Amino acid sequence: MEQLELQDLKVDKVVDARGTACPGPLLEAKKAIGTISSGEIMEILSADEGTKRDIPKWANKKGHEYMGTVEESGYFKIYLKKG
Amino acid sequence: MSEHKKEPGVLGQLYGIFFAKHWPVWVGGIVLGTLNILLFAIKSPWGASGGINNWGENVYRLLGLFNLDNAKPLLTNNYGMLCLFLVIGSFIAALLSKEFAFRVPPVGELIKGFIGGSLMALGATFGIGCTIGAFFSGMPALSGGAIIFTIGLFFGVIVALKYLMWEMEKFPGFSTGKSYNFLSGTGKKGNWQKWLGWIVLIITFFIAYQYSDKNKVLAWFIIIGMLMGLISQRSRFCIVKAFRDPFMTGEAEGSVGVMAGLIIGLFGFTIIKYFGIGIGEATIRSREMTWVFSHFFFRAAIGGFIFGIGMTIAGGCAVGTLWRVGEGQVKLWASALGFILISPISKMYIVPPVVNLLPKNWDFKSYMPDYIGYPGAFILVTCIILLWYVFVKWNEKTGRFSAY
Repeated sequence: MEQLELQDLKVDKVVDARGTACPGPLLEAKKAIGTISSGEIMEILSADEGTKRDIPKWANKKGHEYMGTVEESGYFKIYLKKG
Repeated sequence: MSEHKKEPGVLGQLYGIFFAKHWPVWVGGIVLGTLNILLFAIKSPWGASGGINNWGENVYRLLGLFNLDNAKPLLTNNYGMLCLFLVIGSFIAALLSKEFAFRVPPVGELIKGFIGGSLMALGATFGIGCTIGAFFSGMPALSGGAIIFTIGLFFGVIVALKYLMWEMEKFPGFSTGKSYNFLSGTGKKGNWQKWLGWIVLIITFFIAYQYSDKNKVLAWFIIIGMLMGLISQRSRFCIVKAFRDPFMTGEAEGSVGVMAGLIIGLFGFTIIKYFGIGIGEATIRSREMTWVFSHFFFRAAIGGFIFGIGMTIAGGCAVGTLWRVGEGQVKLWASALGFILISPISKMYIVPPVVNLLPKNWDFKSYMPDYIGYPGAFILVTCIILLWYVFVKWNEKTGRFSAY
């Protein structure tokens, strides 16, 4: 997805994991995705570079859709659609 | 596409290969394994906990504590300098890819960093080595103790991972809270990072050159240390990930990266030991016994276990801590601080009384070729790595042992 489209997404759940280092963001994403229903969208905020690679991989494996990543100043936002 | 992006030139593309994207972990593993062989050829293999211990001794010496006047000054200590320039190399890599930022986590994370670092210091002192000395170098060095240390690591990681998941359920507030970010290089205004990166790189070569007159070995330890930090940061080479992820997400990528480095190291180390390369004034026996520590098997088992717990809680082993210090992750600064402060104390006061309680033959040097010959030892280590490979790949597919 293009960056602008991602910015405009209606997000159902935001997980702010900017405070935790690897593997914190993934643990929090895993916990939070249990609270939304299939088709809903989750946004994960992280400042850990490794997360950029780990969360999409984990999501694809679990059947969630990885929609894209948006860079912000000092952190980034990862978008997932629950499968 | 509405906006047309300018194609970078040949050098720009080369720069992009190194600094635009992260490298695959296995590429990092292979290059680190190769640099490890070079270190051994020059003098002795890669290690991290010894260098950090040297930092700690120098800190206490400056503070006038514990009578450490005889501690080797950092500026003349090979491993202290290797560790220092590993941090600087990662700093350079983070700057050149504009990934540097001071990432300040909430207090709970800082506490975990400090405790993790302290446990690593204790584990490394007890086990005589860390994930580098007693594993990433120890396995290729055909040390029997390294295999025991590795088994200890596994159990430590599993215990600590269980703890992290328990903490997440029972005390979700512990690691969360306000976090801060300074000096991030995202976007155009972060271009200063690239300039600073080049300057630090040039200074590093200048310092190495200054040493080359009186201490050739140290000059090369500085350069290789810097490269190791740079590569670790770009490939996000992480031994915690290699041990932890199969039991967490089932991901095998990190493990395979580490195995690639082990196999390369195994070939190089075996050849160096077999032929006695770089023997200098020493005997061939001392070359063979390099990085075979007197920790077989009790010290290796307990040390590996404690170290495994520490590195999982900290989120980085000794080297993982150092390169994350270089990219500005303040949680790992806390881990480094714990490691630095606790390591000399463990060495002087905590570990010796415990070791004195052990039977004497429980901490000897086990060099596998003494028992099964070079071919046997080489095949044994290869089989262990292969078995681990089959396990993580099978587990990646089936998710049999992954919690997530």
